[in-house]
Amino acid sequence: MSTADCEQDEAGWGVFEGLPGDPMMWVLVLSELVAFGLFLGAFIVAHAVKPAIFASGQASLDVTLAGYNTIVLVTSGWAAARGVASARANARRHARLWLLFAMVLGGAFVTIKFFEYAQEIGSGIGLETSVFFTLYFLLTGFHLLHVCLGIIILAVVCRRADPTHVETGTIFWHMVDLVWILMFPIVYLVR
Amino acid sequence: MRYQPDRLDLTLLALIALAGATMALTGVTRGLLFADGAVLAIAAIKGRRILLDYLDLRSAPPLWRGLATAWLMLIVGFAWAVSAVSVLLS
Repeated sequence: MSTADCEQDEAGWGVFEGLPGDPMMWVLVLSELVAFGLFLGAFIVAHAVKPAIFASGQASLDVTLAGYNTIVLVTSGWAAARGVASARANARRHARLWLLFAMVLGGAFVTIKFFEYAQEIGSGIGLETSVFFTLYFLLTGFHLLHVCLGIIILAVVCRRADPTHVETGTIFWHMVDLVWILMFPIVYLVR
Repeated sequence: MRYQPDRLDLTLLALIALAGATMALTGVTRGLLFADGAVLAIAAIKGRRILLDYLDLRSAPPLWRGLATAWLMLIVGFAWAVSAVSVLLS
């Protein structure tokens, strides 16, 4: 192998070749998936250890609002994916509009979630009410933080609407979407 | 010109329909082991559609599709197994 070949190898991304967007975003997303996976695993185990407390906590949650939020977030993911398709087709104005739509829906998710928190806090529920609510607020709050960060990332990549940047930003957004898809049944529904 | 829905549109429709099915299932058979399994299976299907069509792993190397699907199935499988064991032991 010549020196030039070695340099070319070093410049490549090895196993990350063939993935859309910047490989560094995939490194971040993989670490986030591991973190969320461990968090969800801890929630599942705690549920098995304290079933009565978790059943009572789940009964206090608003499943309908969480269901609406699922629809809002998957629609937002669709808009972001449409933004990627437009950016790849070099239709940057369309890409910006799709990303803006995704951000608006992300904002709707945040608003609904805050409304849900307000209802819960208004009925006297807090972080220290029970182990269920401690984990519930930490898990959903951590996810909500990622939704807010995702909106900021979409806003940043929206400015130039460059195909690689849009792909990179939307990877994070879809990760947030994917985590919610698992969090919704595990936190709200599974008894 | 008639609008032809593409794969992304169909994925969105499938995800919304599955979210609706989850809500319906929860209302009818809340608390049953079957319902928990069905709700988690629906979550796995939704997650897989997001991985393949939104995250665009359909055209990515098989290693990444496999890793991402394994992560998804690990969490769903663990949730279902723990739930099933809890019900059987109670």
